[in-house]
Amino acid sequence: MSQNEQAGATQLPEEAAEELIHRIGKLTRMLRDNMRELGLDKEIEKAAEAIPDARDRLHYVATMTEQAADRALNAIDRAQPLQDQLSERAEALDKRWDEWFAAPQELDEAKSLVKETRAYLHDVPEMTAATNKELLDIMMAQDFQDLTGQVIKKMMDVIREIEHQLVQVLIDNVPGAEARENMQRKAQDQWENDSARRKEELLNGPQIRDNAPDIVTGQDQVDDLLDELGF
Amino acid sequence: MADKNMSFLVVDDFPTMRRIVRSLLKELGFTNVEEAEDGQDALNKLRAGNFEFVVSDWNMPNLDGLEMLKEIRQDDALKALPVLMVTAEAKKENIIAAAQAGANGYVVKPFTAATLEEKLNKIFEKMGK
Repeated sequence: MSQNEQAGATQLPEEAAEELIHRIGKLTRMLRDNMRELGLDKEIEKAAEAIPDARDRLHYVATMTEQAADRALNAIDRAQPLQDQLSERAEALDKRWDEWFAAPQELDEAKSLVKETRAYLHDVPEMTAATNKELLDIMMAQDFQDLTGQVIKKMMDVIREIEHQLVQVLIDNVPGAEARENMQRKAQDQWENDSARRKEELLNGPQIRDNAPDIVTGQDQVDDLLDELGF
Repeated sequence: MADKNMSFLVVDDFPTMRRIVRSLLKELGFTNVEEAEDGQDALNKLRAGNFEFVVSDWNMPNLDGLEMLKEIRQDDALKALPVLMVTAEAKKENIIAAAQAGANGYVVKPFTAATLEEKLNKIFEKMGK
């Protein structure tokens, strides 16, 4: 805003300012009444309620994928040195054996070589078991795909709901009763096709908030609940 | 100790989870494992073959895990089959509904290899295997 306009605004006569406020108020009321008449306020409320939930779900997906990536990379960081050690020790022993066979030396030298080789053989299963444990951990880290997949499917339902509400708003504003009814019918058919609804009260997918009511937050609580119930 | 040849059916609509459960079972020595991608597919396979143990998800298309469990308990040929639910559904009412429908165990996702093993062993003990 330029200085002149600002000056003009402050100099606006009091009645003019009141008139402006009055007119904005009237417009807002009119808009609200129209929306209520068309039933749009409920529709918009529904769409608006879905948005924070969608945000929580996206946050959950981001957290889970990050944790899974960290978990896999950490396991690899632990496994790689084990693999390196295995191959370095084998190569070193192999080289010494080659040298010994090329030019057999003192018996003592051979004895120590045998001793070290045996020690190595003894260590191999221990180290491969440790590597195996890390591989298993990398596998378990992939469980995020199932959990985030379920949450993403839920989000697609939310998006479809919002789309449905927006289409309703558009249809309600189409001029011409016949055209409007036509479009309404088509939209309704599609909506019903899309949502061959299942009984969903017990199908919620992963809990995206730990503080939701009536949920368990871990296996211990599941076990306790089942014990309480005598199962 | 359970018979390592015991035949398992792993039911989950996510292939990744089926692979994870299958690999964990293999770690525990069970290699006789088949998979189904939803409750209906599972029922078809159970009725066609000789399965001894079911590990199932809950939330699946076509027929969900709870409905499948109810069908199993109503089917004379299948009703004694042990069913372990492995699911992300974490509401108390879910756990109660599964127990009332006759689930032999309930593991909530995400779970650890140790938890799966513990619950399997608990069921084996009760089965007297």
